[in-house]
Amino acid sequence: FRFKDSLADDLQSADLVISHAGAGSCLETLEKGKPLIVVINDKLMDNHQLELAKQLHRDGYVLYCNCSTLVETLQSMDLSTLKPFPPGQPEKFASFLDKVLGFQ
Amino acid sequence: TGGHTTEILRLLSCLSESYSPRHYVLADSDKMSEAKIRSFEQKKAETFSKSQFTLDRIPRSREVRQSWISSVVTTLYSILYSLPLTYKRKPDLILCNGPGTCVPICVSAFLLGLLRIKRTIIVYVESICRVETLSLSGKILYYFSDYFIVQWPDLKKRYPKSVYLGRVV
Repeated sequence: FRFKDSLADDLQSADLVISHAGAGSCLETLEKGKPLIVVINDKLMDNHQLELAKQLHRDGYVLYCNCSTLVETLQSMDLSTLKPFPPGQPEKFASFLDKVLGFQ
Repeated sequence: TGGHTTEILRLLSCLSESYSPRHYVLADSDKMSEAKIRSFEQKKAETFSKSQFTLDRIPRSREVRQSWISSVVTTLYSILYSLPLTYKRKPDLILCNGPGTCVPICVSAFLLGLLRIKRTIIVYVESICRVETLSLSGKILYYFSDYFIVQWPDLKKRYPKSVYLGRVV
């Protein structure tokens, strides 16, 4: 398919997700608790997308590779090494803003 | 645009009804954000019937990989375009998270502040994608914003005036 409004259903039924390093894709997948392999496309991407993928990998949440090493990664991967991804906390932001504006 | 919209809606998700009315500003070329915003606001309206919001569009400041010189021109144009909008809305608070669209709005709010027309608090939240380096909007708004929030500790070290609250989206 080209573009869907939401991949939520597809994500829900997946056992493994292989994705580019877009933040939305990564975070949505991790939040659904699905194992994720991030594929970096050196030619297409801005460097900054790499930052998040690298950090998520460093923290043990995703596996990552590039297009040429994908097959190898799929063959040798051990998904049990991936850690569960804790959700972000927008409530901390809300508290901070309430304090700043004097709403308490 | 896309990821920025998703992030900002998450930031808004826990805000109380004191943060109302909400004025959304989008780039004219943005095709997908409007639907996400309307859906978000519709859910809000289910809980708070008096919930209000507006949606405006401004010319996009800069396309991806646009050259420096033409970016300055298009951004100046966007700033001129934004001034009447910001003047009309006179926001108490501007919340933004990185798309080029936020720069003209924040700059126009800053100018209105200098002219003593309206003092707006500018809160910038750098995207979760930014772990080690700031976006271009971030680099600019680090100096203009009242509060600059980063989501990874490395950025807090490099930009000491920033606020680190952990991951908020």
